[in-house]
Amino acid sequence: MLYRTAGQFKTSYAADHALFPVRQDAILLGVVLILAFVVFPLTASEFAFRALLIPVLIYALAALGLNILTGYAGQLSLGTGAFMGVGAYACYKLITLFPEMNIVVAIALSGFFSAGVGALFGLPSLRIKGFYLAIATLAAQFFLVWLFQKWDWLYNYSASGAIHVPNISMFGITVAGPRAAAITQYYFVLAIVCVVTFFAINITRGRIGRMWKAVRDMDIAAELVGINLMRAKLTAFFVSSYIVGVSGALFVFLWRGAAEANLFDIPLSFRVLFIAIIGGLGSILGNYLGAILIVALPVIISAVPAMLGLPLASATVEHLNVMIIGVLIITFLIVEPHGLARFWAVIREKLILWPFPH
Amino acid sequence: MKKMMKTAALSAALAAGVALALPASAQEDSIYIPNLSYRTGPFAATGTPLMNGQRDYITLLNERDGGLNGVELTYDECETGYNTEKGVECYERTKENAVVTQPWSTGITLQVLPKSNVDEIPILAPGYGFSPMADGKVFQWAFNPPSSYWDGASMILKHISEGDLDNLNGKKIALLHLDHPYGKEPIPLLQALAEQHGFTLLPIPVGLTEMQNQSAQWLQIRRERPDFVLMWGWGAMNAGAVTEAAKTRYPMDQFIGIWWSGHDGDLKLIGEEGKGYRSISWSVPVPDSQLVQDIRQYVVEPGKSLIENESELDSVFYQRGLMISAMLVEAIRAAQEEFDTQAPDAEQVRWGLENLNMDEARLEELGATGMLVPFKTSCADHTGHGGAWMLEWDGEKFVKVSDLITPDREAIEPLEKQEAEAYAAANAPWPVNEECEM
Repeated sequence: MLYRTAGQFKTSYAADHALFPVRQDAILLGVVLILAFVVFPLTASEFAFRALLIPVLIYALAALGLNILTGYAGQLSLGTGAFMGVGAYACYKLITLFPEMNIVVAIALSGFFSAGVGALFGLPSLRIKGFYLAIATLAAQFFLVWLFQKWDWLYNYSASGAIHVPNISMFGITVAGPRAAAITQYYFVLAIVCVVTFFAINITRGRIGRMWKAVRDMDIAAELVGINLMRAKLTAFFVSSYIVGVSGALFVFLWRGAAEANLFDIPLSFRVLFIAIIGGLGSILGNYLGAILIVALPVIISAVPAMLGLPLASATVEHLNVMIIGVLIITFLIVEPHGLARFWAVIREKLILWPFPH
Repeated sequence: MKKMMKTAALSAALAAGVALALPASAQEDSIYIPNLSYRTGPFAATGTPLMNGQRDYITLLNERDGGLNGVELTYDECETGYNTEKGVECYERTKENAVVTQPWSTGITLQVLPKSNVDEIPILAPGYGFSPMADGKVFQWAFNPPSSYWDGASMILKHISEGDLDNLNGKKIALLHLDHPYGKEPIPLLQALAEQHGFTLLPIPVGLTEMQNQSAQWLQIRRERPDFVLMWGWGAMNAGAVTEAAKTRYPMDQFIGIWWSGHDGDLKLIGEEGKGYRSISWSVPVPDSQLVQDIRQYVVEPGKSLIENESELDSVFYQRGLMISAMLVEAIRAAQEEFDTQAPDAEQVRWGLENLNMDEARLEELGATGMLVPFKTSCADHTGHGGAWMLEWDGEKFVKVSDLITPDREAIEPLEKQEAEAYAAANAPWPVNEECEM
């Protein structure tokens, strides 16, 4: 009933290819956007901004980047964390070398550094695929983290080896650094995430996206129908690493405020990969759902006992938390192996048919 | 399906409700002391006894004295697992009513340090964190009493050179350190001293992933044959290092750790073979002190402690935990007296930390004679530089083997000042307390 498509006629091809062929989808997106732009900022506490909303957006963006590579172009990568690090360190160097540079410009540019490095480490994908490629990207992961530690120019020779975000303002408002208000940072991240998502949706729906999908489904067939494999794979690495780099810059500049090389080590890569897999490979929505499950849910669960007044020790809650999240991940993957995005798609299809069973 | 949707909607609503309405409400008649603890993860073995000590000291005051001057102390732990991401989350979660932040990791300290000026909550990082935090003019809200890592490095060198660093001329000193902000802390000072006094410094990093397997590092040590190995290790790294040292038969009397590398549990793994291993420490366990007896009577015997067996009570780390809470409580007490209030706020506790006087008389009143180096902070000096003692593993426990050692402040101060200024410049606008006299 909620999702009744009766009466929505398409009279042109353009209408049929619209982003939202079903009107309710557009309404739903509108509701989500109103929630994100109006309701959350009005109601959320500083803790909610800093521990839930901002990290979910940033992790979702990183997963989106990985999803373009793995979900759309079918190239497995384990180097996401390191590529985020490239974005973060590039942004740090840009900001400290050119202090008057606008932070949006710095973040946008730092994506290109990451994209370049990503494309470079994507070269082996022309010869190897699957797990073998995963090992090659793993090499990128180890090499880059090692570089972040050893190349002290990257962190301006600081004794601790950590980078610190200075106070950065844009049009008179502090957007990054310790003096920035959480709500400003949230809007900043939200705006960038929305813009990148918009482009990502359109790229993946268009010519390039189809090229990637053809390569993913069967690269020999794709080559036979005239797709240039090298271009397809390298653009996938380039675009993916660009988005990952931007998310890395946001990760440090708009959220963490300080970072050391170990932060970008393999656990971060796995975390982003889990978000992409649990959310659903080959989908945009899935990244957000996955990020909510992996990033936000543990924070919420750890607050529940205190809310209910249960006298549980913090360490016990942490142990419970790990167990609950683990069980949830397994459950979701058993119920719907194609991820949360597919889960939502099934629900939506049932809703369209509802109340009829078939 | 319908039921599933309903549950989903319900849990989403619940989640949103929880998320947006999180921090607990403040109470007038108690002082909220959060602690960013880690009883899970690879550093749990060293973290747990410290947290137990901190917790038990507060419990003791509440049980024996009914709190502090009649106000209950609410001790609350937020589990970080030594993970900086969790640490920042915990900081945000607890900061609203907190009178202090105890970040418990150099990584987390570095993250919350820039926020301290904005949120105006003092950071108490006893014996860890960023060494230049000693400069109270620049780091108005951060405290690392009673000795910083640079003090520690200076004291170890002073001890092994028998008082004169020039004796180290031509020697080779390896620094086995965790490859993390914490482990890298002493490097700038050691490098400066190496140049000045003509010894060779050989930093040997141990990555977070190779803490338990240090064969490569010890192979390097065997090849290079350094005259001394200093260790800045933590968690599983300490145990890995001492077992590897025993295996490669490195002479234990040339192997010296910082205070976080002197954990009884790690050395018990090798027992007799670890004889001669030394660790510098600003706290010493005194099992028969009045304080420990009170802990036994009021906290352990009624079953209010989390310790697993009584022997933990006499360990270096447990008793250090006691001393850390004692410093904090003394600061709160000072704030109560100065501002004539029952429940001082964060700003007043900052004053208390800045005017902390833990002299021998005060320690005796607390029943903690000889458990902590005496020290005194001021607005310019947020560390106190109380010095430390050398502890030595005798095969069963750590025993004190030296008189009080004091750091060579003249060598450290210029570097401290320079690093503090560089930090303030990199984080401009950074407020500096100009009123404070050096």
